[in-house]
Amino acid sequence: MAQLSEFLTPADLHKISNLQVLARLVVEGFCTGLHRSPHKGFSVEFKQHRQYVPGDEIRHLDWRIFGKTDRFYIREYEEETNLRCTLLLDASGSMNYGSPQGRSKFIYAQRLAACLAYLMLGQQDSVGLVTFDSKVRRYIPPRAQTSHLKVLVNELDATTMGNETELADVFHDLVPRLHRRGLIVILSDCFGDVTKLLTALAHMRHARHEIVIFQIWDRTELEFDFRQWTRFDCLEVDGKKYLVDPNHLRAAYLENLEKFRAELKQGCHRHRIDLVPMVTDQPYAEALAQYLTLRMRR
Amino acid sequence: MTFLNAALIAGMAAVAIPVIIHLFHRSKFKIVPWGAMHLLEAVLRKNTKRLKLEQLILLLIRCSIPVALALCMARPVITGLSPLLENKKVSTVLIIDNSYSMEAGGPANSNFQQAREAARQIVDNLVPGSDVAIVQMAGGASSLLEDPTFDLDRVRGELGRMRAGYGAATVPEAFQVARAVQPRLNHLNREVIVLTDFQKVTWSEMGGLPASERSRIAGQMAEGKTPPRLTFFHVGTEITDNVSVEKLEANRQILGVGQQLRVRATLQNHGEGQYQDMRVVFKVDGKERSVSQTSLGPREKGQVLFTHTFDTSGSHVIEVIAEADALIADNSMMASIPVWDRLPVLLVSGDMNPEPLMGETDFIEIALHPFGHGKVEMADLVTTRTIDAREMDAKPLAESRVAVLANVSQLNEMQLKAVENFVREGGGLLIFPGNRINSAWYNTTFLAGGKGLLPLPVVSLSGSTNSGTRATIVSQHYEHPALEMFNDPRNGNLSDADIRLWYKMREETGKPGDSGITVLARLDTGDPFLVEKKYGEGRIIECAVPCDAEWTNLPARPFYLPLMQQLVTYLASKVYPPRNVDVGKPLVAFLPAADAGRKAILTDPEGKARELLIQAKGTRAMAEFSETQKPGLYVLDAPNNNRIHFVVNVDRKESDLSQLSPAEVQGVAKAMGASVVKTFNEYHALDQQRRFGQEIWQGLLAVMIGLVFLEMILEQVFARRKS
Repeated sequence: MAQLSEFLTPADLHKISNLQVLARLVVEGFCTGLHRSPHKGFSVEFKQHRQYVPGDEIRHLDWRIFGKTDRFYIREYEEETNLRCTLLLDASGSMNYGSPQGRSKFIYAQRLAACLAYLMLGQQDSVGLVTFDSKVRRYIPPRAQTSHLKVLVNELDATTMGNETELADVFHDLVPRLHRRGLIVILSDCFGDVTKLLTALAHMRHARHEIVIFQIWDRTELEFDFRQWTRFDCLEVDGKKYLVDPNHLRAAYLENLEKFRAELKQGCHRHRIDLVPMVTDQPYAEALAQYLTLRMRR
Repeated sequence: MTFLNAALIAGMAAVAIPVIIHLFHRSKFKIVPWGAMHLLEAVLRKNTKRLKLEQLILLLIRCSIPVALALCMARPVITGLSPLLENKKVSTVLIIDNSYSMEAGGPANSNFQQAREAARQIVDNLVPGSDVAIVQMAGGASSLLEDPTFDLDRVRGELGRMRAGYGAATVPEAFQVARAVQPRLNHLNREVIVLTDFQKVTWSEMGGLPASERSRIAGQMAEGKTPPRLTFFHVGTEITDNVSVEKLEANRQILGVGQQLRVRATLQNHGEGQYQDMRVVFKVDGKERSVSQTSLGPREKGQVLFTHTFDTSGSHVIEVIAEADALIADNSMMASIPVWDRLPVLLVSGDMNPEPLMGETDFIEIALHPFGHGKVEMADLVTTRTIDAREMDAKPLAESRVAVLANVSQLNEMQLKAVENFVREGGGLLIFPGNRINSAWYNTTFLAGGKGLLPLPVVSLSGSTNSGTRATIVSQHYEHPALEMFNDPRNGNLSDADIRLWYKMREETGKPGDSGITVLARLDTGDPFLVEKKYGEGRIIECAVPCDAEWTNLPARPFYLPLMQQLVTYLASKVYPPRNVDVGKPLVAFLPAADAGRKAILTDPEGKARELLIQAKGTRAMAEFSETQKPGLYVLDAPNNNRIHFVVNVDRKESDLSQLSPAEVQGVAKAMGASVVKTFNEYHALDQQRRFGQEIWQGLLAVMIGLVFLEMILEQVFARRKS
């Protein structure tokens, strides 16, 4: 079984803990923590007592303790948060790409997912996980218990690479299964038909989900920095390969790439989706922190 | 098209290099499992065709670069229609300027040595089987070899023996000789190379080569089916510092033992340098006799006077040497001076009279032989013998150098023949009329319609012995050498004499000089006083008055003696062929008839001796030598210890060493259809080009560089289009 430390170095954890996640939109659940919630005063699980300080609501006083000790104590409950976050991890073949000197995009996404899960569970938010390639492979509903992290990490670790992906279909399938509205964090390279993808995302937004896409890139995909003749073997479809001189294709490729990214970015902006491009050689913790700062500003 | 480095053609195989590089890169590909295939596929779909085309263009250019480089290094030559590719043998005519101006630049590295070295290199450059002719430009242009020779070693030997200093160069003559050599050349591939210093006096339009001459030579050179290629090889550098001895003037034409010779040497500074206290040495027979000093400013002329008295008769040589610059040839000038112990003159009197001063020839005898008459111990050059006209025959004539006919009525047929022979063979004849002459005979037989001995017919007597009318001799500047001395008033004034009676001579109408008759002096009536005619080798002078005092007071005038002496010595000096000649002119010596058939030894200025056969000529014998290209002293040793000196002088016009400017040289070359080179390397390049055609490697190099740039630019353009 994988150890948590495999995914999160102490430095990573330290950096993330200094930041606060603020849900921008109102989600279902109880407002017991920093998050605002329409389901006020609904608590489920006792966590601990703490001493009353002026300003605390009197109705949360534990009168039995007062009776016994003549002191004011406040009962605190586990379900302080109401953010339901579902991490969507793309396990398609294209995510298996990674430059020889770096980690693959999938591993990067895996770790980023673990980071997010840890962060959110630490915030008392509930976190779920969906892994998919051409279809949904695994669905773990959101939970807020700290122990849930272990489940998530084990699942992340157990995920293997699949084949060709079509994100749009997967997302359409997924929408009915996410009953309550919440935050959907997509960890994918978003390769595929942009128009279809945006339609699927719009579908999700229609179900009032807040969406953040961490678009995972490898540096070589952005720069296409190949010098010698290269045979590009497709990671998703077996037998599809092209032998080319990359020097002559670079400019056209980069142009095409820019076009793709611009389309996606515009579509996301239109649907008020946060698109965060991440490159695998970027420290993911730092990139995550950047994103969270962005969220806070909004 | 041919290649100088044909082996390097193999370099064209380098065309495979770009292809191999391409294939190598293709075969050594890297495999990348790729995710973003949808991005790549779109690009491939759109660009494959265009990329292939661009790649093909670039590949072609890259393949052309090594091909161009290989061609360039193989040095291709466009030969065009040149038929010479097969036959590299060439007939070369070397025209070498060996004038004395070529000696400028010092003995170690003179212009001539440079020319010779260049000629040697040209000969070394010839392939075996080529033939060469050498023409020297100066001293009367001539061919150094009888025929063009294949023996290049012999040519090298001839070049080694060649010397400069052979007078002045003449371009037209040199080309004439070169043209004469042409038919004897053995190859159709012909070349004429002129090695010269392009001295102004020889080559400029004002000098020896006017425009008409240039075009004429160019026309002649272009004649024929295979006209030669003409190359001007400009050797040496221009040196302007030069002093020359321009001329020597002697006061006497004929010098006797004990008589003083005054020699006036004219020196000319041709350069801009200043010559202070320059030593001028006077040598007689090789021995230094006197030294003078003179100073010459830039371009200045100066004169130095030397005197000498010879105490032995025979042939002597004087020399004036200016110790100045390095061009030695013109720093000295020599002259051969014959010193005579006596000059026999035959006086033929038509009116012998035993009484003193009453005979026809008495005055002239005294005038010619004054010291003898006065019993003075001084040297009389002239010895006289007087005979009656009736006694005259061939014998006394043969013993004399000049004959004087004084008032001779007429000559019989035999006598006339003897006199004609005497004059034809170089004798001098002085004719004085008088009251006894048979003018009818004079005007018919003696004149012989202008072909006889008498220069002009005597028409009538003018003036009168009684009346007061007087004629005088016109005092003027006399051009004739016999009267030149009277240009100096100290020697007497010819117009002092009163002429009472004189013979009118009828001059022929027409251009003066046409008939070969020269009027030396005239009377103030316009009638000729002295006339001269050339007849055979000799000369005749006819006077309008007698030589006695009957009709004139001439004998009583102070100038009578010098006048008679001058006339006689002038006629006598013409008896002998000149001993001071210009280069190229023949040397002729008259020797006693007894020497005919024997050998004389002639030593040239270089010390080379050769035998000359003495040939009989009339009553005398003669030795002749015509190869006088080299200036200097020639010594003829005839039998009986008879030594005669000849001096061959160079034309001093070459002393001005200024050369044509490069532009002027080009002008001459253009007019004559020649190419100009200054070094052997230039010549070699020109020769290669002409013989083998035009090398085009420069063009190919430019093409290759162009291709490299094109490749770079296209690559940039293609890349930019893609982005």
